[in-house]
Amino acid sequence: MTRRIDQFARTASSDPFFLGSALADYAASEHLDDAGMASALGCNEELLTPLRLCRRPRPEPALFRADIKAIVERFAVNADRLSEAVRRSDALRRIRGTAAQGDGMLMAARDRERNGDETESTS
Amino acid sequence: MAPLQSGTLTLPDGRNVHARLLAGDPVAPSDLAMTYFEPLTAWLEALYPRLHPHECATAAGDAILAVIKNPQSYKPERQRRESLLGYLRMSAKARLGNLQRAERRHSTRRASLDAVALSPVMGKYLGDEDADPARIVEHQEEESAAPAPAPLPDSLRTTLSSVEIEMLRLMDMKERRTIVFARLLGIVDQPVAEQRRAVKRAKDRLHKRRRRAGDAHDQED
Repeated sequence: MTRRIDQFARTASSDPFFLGSALADYAASEHLDDAGMASALGCNEELLTPLRLCRRPRPEPALFRADIKAIVERFAVNADRLSEAVRRSDALRRIRGTAAQGDGMLMAARDRERNGDETESTS
Repeated sequence: MAPLQSGTLTLPDGRNVHARLLAGDPVAPSDLAMTYFEPLTAWLEALYPRLHPHECATAAGDAILAVIKNPQSYKPERQRRESLLGYLRMSAKARLGNLQRAERRHSTRRASLDAVALSPVMGKYLGDEDADPARIVEHQEEESAAPAPAPLPDSLRTTLSSVEIEMLRLMDMKERRTIVFARLLGIVDQPVAEQRRAVKRAKDRLHKRRRRAGDAHDQED
């Protein structure tokens, strides 16, 4: 494996189209380096490069299962851990997206805006 | 399916990967990239040995990503003579050209910005204040608003020296650099400030003579 293709795969991992983006999210949330990630998936580190370049599994349940199956069959990685990584990434991205839009679950932590006669919460 | 080895892909394999991309196989993007990235980069490096390898890798990567994201862009039935590798080569070569042009544009812009930023420094332009980029822009704006010069009346032309005729020609061509006129006048050995004064005097003199000759010409008409 050349360093260049490895670098290409890492760059591609910034794009949510690629499985690498999900693996990066999972690794960050678990504080895993490459060796740790490979260990979690049950493969060697070299396999992380082609894995990163796979398309991210589609979210619809049937398609998700089919995509995970295809990737596992090809790379012989731990299916449960791979599914968990993608699901975790999906959840993290939803939270980030919600936070970026400024509503949703993070709203609870915000001060209420003044609106007409409504007074600001003092509690 | 066993992983494909880099550089060994043949036309049917290329079509197979492409068909899998179209079918939505999640492993196909990986196979395409793992198979073609290295040979494509190496091909560009061999074709353009003077370029930085990083640029070749970027162009190769961009070409591969484009096919991964939009596999319909490669039409095997239309590109019968072009394998997927051939298509990727064409695409990568074009992208490398675009990268080069973008870099050249960036360099040019950076150079002109540097020039503007440095323009107030006295003597930065070999003492020629007309080389000051701010002055150049000013001149260009003046020129675009100025009417075209009238042709030289014969009454004036016959009284001018060859140097003066050349000076007028340059002035009509909107030449502004002091050094150009200083060379013509043979005063480049003088201090820059003196060159500037002498050139201005010579230009003013010619302007006046032309104006007077023009007025006389109009009266004759």
